[in-house]
Amino acid sequence: MAANGKKSMLIVLRHSPYGSSLAKAGLDTVLATAAFSQPVDLLLLGDGVLQLQPDQDGHRIGQKNVGRQLSSLPLYDINHVYVDAEAVTRYNVDISRAPVDTRMLDKEELHQLMAGYDHLLGF
Amino acid sequence: MILHTLNAAPSSAAFEDCLSVARSGDAIVLMGDGVYAALSGTRAWEELQSKGAELYLLNSDALALGVMQPTEGGNWIDMDGFVALTERFPRQQAWY
Amino acid sequence: MIYSLLVLSSPISGHGSRNAAEFAQCVIARGHSLHRVFFLDTGTLASAANCVFPQDEADPLRTWVALAEQHAVELVICVSSALKHGMLDQVEAARHERPGPTANPIFTVSGLGQLVDACANSDRLITFGG
Repeated sequence: MAANGKKSMLIVLRHSPYGSSLAKAGLDTVLATAAFSQPVDLLLLGDGVLQLQPDQDGHRIGQKNVGRQLSSLPLYDINHVYVDAEAVTRYNVDISRAPVDTRMLDKEELHQLMAGYDHLLGF
Repeated sequence: MILHTLNAAPSSAAFEDCLSVARSGDAIVLMGDGVYAALSGTRAWEELQSKGAELYLLNSDALALGVMQPTEGGNWIDMDGFVALTERFPRQQAWY
Repeated sequence: MIYSLLVLSSPISGHGSRNAAEFAQCVIARGHSLHRVFFLDTGTLASAANCVFPQDEADPLRTWVALAEQHAVELVICVSSALKHGMLDQVEAARHERPGPTANPIFTVSGLGQLVDACANSDRLITFGG
């Protein structure tokens, strides 16, 4: 539980953006949770790390740009975006050019992270 | 302590992702297409058992999909048993 | 304990939505309180009022309607997902000048704030997808 007695939430995104509406639903949930002043963090796991792909341009396929949504996270006080390091390596994502600052975790650390929240929402 | 629900066949990214995170002290409930991971003699079943987590199969889904109750290594539960598990584990991660 | 559910997948494909409905029934049978079921993304299709199923197949809508009618379970479909999936209540249909509502009226159309509220006020938040 978060320090102020509120339930803490971790949104876990496992799907790539654009190809599935799940990633966007998950991101919208992160933003809504922060907007209502509830404690929330974001974890990008597996294909979810593809949200970080630099140079995205969702408008080319008539969709909102996920990269831009991610870059607005700090404005909502969402300062903890955790990332599956193994997936970043596997996809060779250039983290230095990702739309938002992230913290890379190995699988053991990911488990420890997840075990620390009241609610896990898997998208 | 995490309760993992796995609703995807062993060929899926969900299966891989779930197994890469699950640890001893957790529980894994196979449901939907996830029950195929309990087919006896498969590598998937061996890999699942090696995680050291408590392993459960949702019996209604397993029976529907033709997966027999494992002779060892997994617990057969009904939906009521699944709810009971969620009482014990404070957080659930859905893999699908 | 207080439970809330998040349903992300369609009732017609996959097992998630079906298992969510059965789970909801068992939560109540075990004496817990079911605060809200929140349908998001493709999960909003659970509210479709006009699906026709063959006689020898289960109609998923029946279970949800029974839960709402017999146990006063709150079923909420997320407005942005619902609109994209063509699930409109009377108000949204009028607002967007569509011929008529397409969502069964037992479902309430609302925003993600209801999911946030569910998480904040529940002991258990169980997600169903796939």
